[in-house]
Amino acid sequence: MQKLGDFKLPHFFNYPPYFTLQPVRETREKQIQLWKELILDYCRTQKIFVIKLEEEFPLFSNSAIERTLSHEAREAFLSDLVAEGRAEWLDKGRRSCLILWHRIQDWADIIVNFVKDNGFEDSVMTVEEIRSGIESRGTSIHTFNHVNELDLDKFPFAKGKLAIFKGTSTDDEGIKFSV
Amino acid sequence: MRRRPGIGGLQTAAAARDQYRVLGGNVAKLRTDLMKEQLTTFRSQLEEFARKHKNDIRKNPSFRSQFHEMCAKVGVDPLASNKGFWAELLGIGDFYYELGVQIVEICLATRLLNGGLIDLQELCKLLRQKRKHDREAVSEDDCLRAISKLKTLGSGFEVISAGKKKLVRSVPTELNKDHNEILELAQSQGYVTVDEVERRLNWTYGRAIDALDTLLDEGLAMIDDGHRDGNRRYWFPCVSSISSFVADS
Repeated sequence: MQKLGDFKLPHFFNYPPYFTLQPVRETREKQIQLWKELILDYCRTQKIFVIKLEEEFPLFSNSAIERTLSHEAREAFLSDLVAEGRAEWLDKGRRSCLILWHRIQDWADIIVNFVKDNGFEDSVMTVEEIRSGIESRGTSIHTFNHVNELDLDKFPFAKGKLAIFKGTSTDDEGIKFSV
Repeated sequence: MRRRPGIGGLQTAAAARDQYRVLGGNVAKLRTDLMKEQLTTFRSQLEEFARKHKNDIRKNPSFRSQFHEMCAKVGVDPLASNKGFWAELLGIGDFYYELGVQIVEICLATRLLNGGLIDLQELCKLLRQKRKHDREAVSEDDCLRAISKLKTLGSGFEVISAGKKKLVRSVPTELNKDHNEILELAQSQGYVTVDEVERRLNWTYGRAIDALDTLLDEGLAMIDDGHRDGNRRYWFPCVSSISSFVADS
């Protein structure tokens, strides 16, 4: 089986037609499903959060069979992930996509647990502090690099657990936890 | 018997014919009786054989296949019904029934990838993987028998030949001779181009495109526009081992 570093690639990755967006609906649906699973798996294991459509991304081409996904195909797969709630477009031009290999609810739970485990209730921290805090305690999430790229309103924080303070610049953005 | 002229002669001839007919009938009956007796003897010997070699029949695919052939020669079908002597003795009905169910499961699971057409060897391979805890080995012959039983259930299963390969069809797609020829052509490289079809089969462009479009619509073919020569390739999952990467259902 072909590998990308440590990652084992599925068999379909080596079958040329999968790199062409299929015209027949049933076939295309299956194709999209396989690619979505691959993208999520790869991003999860490699801790990749953002895919930029116009840049080189290891999954988008397979040099062994000399095939590359067209821009249309890339957009089709990622759009489907977005529709499923497993990804978000970071720009209107759809050039950049945030991959939510954890669902938003899962991210929220991770944050809340971090706060509880470390006694940060009732304190105010900046996003930067939270991020480095999580990193320094060895939890392998680099979430917060991108949390502030998201619209924080989307996070189900509003259960009375968290209040978000907006400062004069994004550096001042802080989150108060009342878990 | 000497022919006598006149009515008397005719009557004698008629009587003679009658006697011959009766004799002929008797001989025929004798032969049939003899045959029936031979058949009965043979059948009971076959039953005895089956009893003695029950384990071998269950465990050894080639032995099993030869046993089937013997049965066929005497007009015995161990799979004819799930009840009765054979089924009880060998439990063979259950074996093929189970195989049939597993074959249907595999065909359903791979249908979206290969359009409902799967290489027989590929099917057997997947079947063995599915049954790996089973000590009873499964041969292609077993698969074919299970499939022919499925056929009688009217399930749309069919085994078709395309070139050197046997393909198991599990959808009611009607494949005509043109489609079949393309499947055969595709076996050497796993794909064909319109150009190749036109040249090798001596068809018009229209005829080639028609057949390829149908195969595409039926999910039996996939297009590939990625080659640097810019020619569209039509790939056929059913002639490669692509079905192997199915997620377990």
